[in-house]
Amino acid sequence: MSDLNTTMVNEYRSNFLKEVEANVEEGRWVKMCMQCGVCSGSCPLGPAWEHPPQEIFMMIRAGKRDEVLKSESMWMCTSCYNCIVRCPRELPITHIMHGLANYAHRLGLAPKMNPTRRFAKIFWDNIVKSGRVNEIELSLRLYFMDGFKNGVEKAWSMKDIGLGMLKARRLNPLGFVTHKGCKDTKGIHRMLKKAREIEDRRKGFAA
Amino acid sequence: MADVVATNETIVVIGGGISGMTAAVEAAETGKDVILLERAPSLGGRVSQLYKYFPKLCHPTCGMEINLRRLRGNRRIKVLTLAEVQKVTGEAGNYQVTATLHPRFVNENCTACGACAEAVTAEIDNPFDYGLSRMKAAYLPFTMAHPQRYVIDPSLIGTEEAQKAKDACRYDAIDLDMKPETVTFSAGAIIWATGWRPYDAAKIQPYGYDRYANVITSVEFERLADTRGPTGGRILRPSDGKEAKNVAFIQCAGSRDRNHLTHCSRICCMASLKQTTYMRERFGDDAQSSIYYIDIRAIDRFEDFYQKVQADSTVKFIKSKVANITEDEATGDVILHGVDTEGYHRYDNRHDLCVLAVGMEPSVDVRRIADVAVDASGFIEVNGPNGAIFGAGCAANALDVNRSVQSATASVLRAVQVVNRVAKAEG
Amino acid sequence: MADMKIGAYVCQGCGLGERLDTKALAQVAQKEGKAHIVREHEFLCNAQGVAMIQKDIDEEGVNRVVIGACSRRAKAEAFHFPTVAVSRVNLREQVIWSQPATDEARELTQEMAEDYMRMGCAEAKKVVAPTPNAAVGTNKRILVVGGGVTGMTAALEAARAGYDVLLVEKTAALGGVMAKLFKRVPFREPYSDPQPTGVEDLVAAVTNEPRITVFLHATTTRTSGAPGQFSVDITTESGQTQTENVGAIVMASGFTPYDASRLPELGYGKSPNVVDQSGLEALALAAAAKGEPMRRPSDGREIKSVVFVQCAGQRDASGTHLRYCSGHCCNTSMKQAMYFKDQNPDIDTVVLFTDLRTPGNGEDFYRSAQKKGVTFTKGKVSGVEAAGDGSAVVKFHDLILDEPAATMAGVDLVVLATGQVPNSGVNIDIPADATDVDDKPVEHAVSVLNLTYRQGPDVPQLKYGFTDSHFICFPYETRRTGIYTAGPVRRPMDIAQAMDDATGAALKAIQEVENAALGRAAHPRSGDLSFPTFRREGCTQCKRCTVECPFGAIDEDEQRYPQFNEGRCRRCGTCMGACPVRVISFENYSIDSVGSQIKAVDVPDEFSEKPRILLLACENDAYPALDMAGVNRRVSSAFVRTIPVRCLGSVNTIWITDALNSGYDGVMLMGCKHGDEYQCHFVKGSELAAYRMSKIDDTLKNLNLEADRVRNLEVAITDMERVPQLINDYAAKIQEIGMSPFKGF
Repeated sequence: MSDLNTTMVNEYRSNFLKEVEANVEEGRWVKMCMQCGVCSGSCPLGPAWEHPPQEIFMMIRAGKRDEVLKSESMWMCTSCYNCIVRCPRELPITHIMHGLANYAHRLGLAPKMNPTRRFAKIFWDNIVKSGRVNEIELSLRLYFMDGFKNGVEKAWSMKDIGLGMLKARRLNPLGFVTHKGCKDTKGIHRMLKKAREIEDRRKGFAA
Repeated sequence: MADVVATNETIVVIGGGISGMTAAVEAAETGKDVILLERAPSLGGRVSQLYKYFPKLCHPTCGMEINLRRLRGNRRIKVLTLAEVQKVTGEAGNYQVTATLHPRFVNENCTACGACAEAVTAEIDNPFDYGLSRMKAAYLPFTMAHPQRYVIDPSLIGTEEAQKAKDACRYDAIDLDMKPETVTFSAGAIIWATGWRPYDAAKIQPYGYDRYANVITSVEFERLADTRGPTGGRILRPSDGKEAKNVAFIQCAGSRDRNHLTHCSRICCMASLKQTTYMRERFGDDAQSSIYYIDIRAIDRFEDFYQKVQADSTVKFIKSKVANITEDEATGDVILHGVDTEGYHRYDNRHDLCVLAVGMEPSVDVRRIADVAVDASGFIEVNGPNGAIFGAGCAANALDVNRSVQSATASVLRAVQVVNRVAKAEG
Repeated sequence: MADMKIGAYVCQGCGLGERLDTKALAQVAQKEGKAHIVREHEFLCNAQGVAMIQKDIDEEGVNRVVIGACSRRAKAEAFHFPTVAVSRVNLREQVIWSQPATDEARELTQEMAEDYMRMGCAEAKKVVAPTPNAAVGTNKRILVVGGGVTGMTAALEAARAGYDVLLVEKTAALGGVMAKLFKRVPFREPYSDPQPTGVEDLVAAVTNEPRITVFLHATTTRTSGAPGQFSVDITTESGQTQTENVGAIVMASGFTPYDASRLPELGYGKSPNVVDQSGLEALALAAAAKGEPMRRPSDGREIKSVVFVQCAGQRDASGTHLRYCSGHCCNTSMKQAMYFKDQNPDIDTVVLFTDLRTPGNGEDFYRSAQKKGVTFTKGKVSGVEAAGDGSAVVKFHDLILDEPAATMAGVDLVVLATGQVPNSGVNIDIPADATDVDDKPVEHAVSVLNLTYRQGPDVPQLKYGFTDSHFICFPYETRRTGIYTAGPVRRPMDIAQAMDDATGAALKAIQEVENAALGRAAHPRSGDLSFPTFRREGCTQCKRCTVECPFGAIDEDEQRYPQFNEGRCRRCGTCMGACPVRVISFENYSIDSVGSQIKAVDVPDEFSEKPRILLLACENDAYPALDMAGVNRRVSSAFVRTIPVRCLGSVNTIWITDALNSGYDGVMLMGCKHGDEYQCHFVKGSELAAYRMSKIDDTLKNLNLEADRVRNLEVAITDMERVPQLINDYAAKIQEIGMSPFKGF
């Protein structure tokens, strides 16, 4: 069978739905959606979504794997939980959105340049390193992720906030030097590794 | 109440709405003795507050007139109003029903001449209009009320107003010393027809029913459209009395929602479709009705009605559960926000008035009173282990009028089976 | 019969005493009305007033009571004198409450009241308290036609109330459609899984019930008679016929699935892998019998993908297929999808729908289906095509993703949710020799009941073949008294509803046999003991009464005279209205009882500037509306004299010509809405009246009168504001066209 036919056969088949159920956090809830759209309407960032949650659920059922996993949409979620509170079917939509984003990321399908994804990555790397966030390093990495020139411009535009935080002692300018990790950094690393192994095994990712 | 004679061949019907009235007359016309208990001062129930029925767009009082005539002409039925059932004990063929009879302060002498209402100046909210109007505190519940007797509101008791009412009555019909009375009588079988109440719309916080004047419920809209209602049938919005020509109808306001009522209330789609015809009736081509829905449940023969409304160019359908409502404080208009899920279209739609098609919940927590099985929504299980207590109408399910009547008629046979068995046993 | 002795009573309560000269009214009753006893009372409806009347009945031999007080709709409990004829003169609601309480209005108000007293006395002379018909039927057996879930339930429930039942089933076994189901939709908590149908238990209960006699392979080949005395021929397949007597009939003839072969665009008939819902049940039953999973009908291969197409040939606004929704199909498809999911969760099951309709706790069932992995897609199916490998391709418009050309390929089984077509027998409104648009004879369905009724062999239908009933308030009231339809023949429904419906219908059947035995009318004039009789020697055998009776109560006897089957009669008087020679009457309602009221009115001469307008008002809706207008103190013309009629259908044109001939200036008729959404409690009454009045123009022309002298109006019970307006408009119109030239003749 040609690729085209395979795609066609997969349309509206539950292959992808089952994949989501198995591998995405709270993915088993996707099938419970009844397409009322209250999640999409309640989302404060709604207008910014290419595909709002309810549509993503329909796309999953329609077998639109690539379109969903490559979408920027679920990266828009800011965890306000409005959708969860309103959903008449009690779907944990916030969690599903994060689950889908995470899954797409793990598969390498998530849009590479999506700022939320990149921030999350920077944040993760930062926190994992010592078991604690190094705030100054995190901010600078974030500002300079698109190159030096961009970084300077971004930092400059945020200077008032930065100075304010310094004054209020909410940011330690010497963080690079004075940052202390947690007591058992190695222990944290072992824990995370183990967790990753379990997750990979459960979701069928190659180790 | 010495004149109430009940035996364990008597069928007690609790609730005097369409289901209870139907059950009572059908049982009595089958030759059974019936006691009909109604909590309100009049029979009629919730349907009497509707302007029209779907799908025929006829008037509920038309059927009520016939039922009242049947009831008045049948000596086997004893009607007790202002009767609140407190406890039911016993078993099939041998129940004891205890009820409190609240004072009406008006006795059988009343001719409904209206002199007491003329004499009184105090006003109270009119429950028949869901509080959308005020009425005198000496009142006839509505024009077709049965019994045709006035009521003195308890708030008048002990005031000069009460005395004024009494003095105005030439027929010695006002008795200000009436006290609540507790009565107990026997019954062989009980038909439970206590009906439904509209879900409390204020609990659906994002719709602002408790905050915005121009967000009302579907039952209130019936009163606005009714020519006997607070606006004489003109559809005027509450905030400023302006004609509401552009009206939004929100379906599943409370129903089909794990946060509110888990069941589908069945009638609301049809009720809203019907209400768009009120809009057309009043405003013709200037009417604008928008129905926000998840699924239009115009079941079986009602589909015709849906198709008729769909053909009306003044009615729009938007597949969407509205996310929230805001108010334009300057104009009082309501703005509905959400997503039309057929193809993903966001909207922020401005309307003069928003009508919430509120769901049905059982009006009474039956289990407080009797030992009966109810489903997760509190409706009496028809097939439950309930002895000879039979749910009828909306006490048993979310039903429309036609199905309520059907259910009530069926419940009568179940009750008849029990009392016939009792009669046979007693020879 | 004892001599006529009229007692006339005038109440002074509720302002009557202040607003009217009650003494003068009493005198009118005495002198003009020829009342033997006349009394005024300050508060007639109280215990003392009622006792006074009762005493006159008991001791003075009063046998006609005229009560000048409030409307007949008020104080009915107090003024209850069942042994005598009672005429209520409505002085309150429709006189003092509908006239201004001013000194200027006093004269006209008094004239009005006096006329009504004259009318009340005139009526009293012409009516007697009805005595029940001696020819009542006392058979209390119930016949149930149809041995499906509806029929079996009706039979069983009636038997449990102590009634004997005959159950006639066309096929070789009880069970009907229910027996052809693998499982049924859950009907109580928890609404989550398909349930056993329970059909074996039901059949066993019916078979073991000693009060029920079952006839299999049998049909009702002739049904005649009336409630309490039906005679029914039950014919078995072998041709043997036995005649049985029954008191009432429950018609539970069920439904036939819509013919899916009319849906070739959905692949039916092109591939065995496209089935309808009943086809799927058959597959499920067969597979269960073998203890195997269901397999593809074409080649027995494993089923991996099933698509359910909702509303197949239903909800079709174009009219090609069924226009209605069958109500149960959404739940049924979910149940059927669960057959697969419960067997193997890996089977793909997709339900394609436009509106998912699972009312009440069906919503729980919907959630349960989703939980089991049934997927739901809102879409409109445009076609189902067969692929070479036996699989199907389903093409549809995905309405959520807005993809007009969405496709599902490799579908092993397509299930079409076609609807229910009622088995209601012959549509009696279509003549036997009718032809269709192509001039081909219309093929008539086989009759279910084979009624010998003049109007046709089956129960009248309303729309789409479903049997007629009042639908909202009085769903069981068919137009054939004593015959109650139940189940999907009445409206589309599922098992749970059919069982409830059957129970209700059984109650109505029981109620009817009880009342028929006492000679009492059924709804809406429940308990009425009067019945129509006719003067045989005056009858011209025109047959209008037999044709127009809304309830098909009148047949023709061997000599072609009308044969009134009183038990079938609903006492509307439509026959009386229809009769051109005025030979039909009731003991308490007749051409004369109304005609003499019309003539009793004092018609002032043409120079008086006091026109007289007769208003014949339907007692069910228009008259209450007039009463309520009075309660709300809405003023209407004092020149109108209102007579309540049982139904506009009972209005005989002689009343109108008599009124016009005796100098009335105009006649108004107020009745209920007719047509498809009729509101007439006697179904056809107001429609027939409208038809008759449309012909009255000729009469008016012959009398040289303007067409506006008669006006027929549709009025609803809520028209308490509109009714006075209509009256006043008409009074103004009469002023405009001037007084009748017939005064004083």
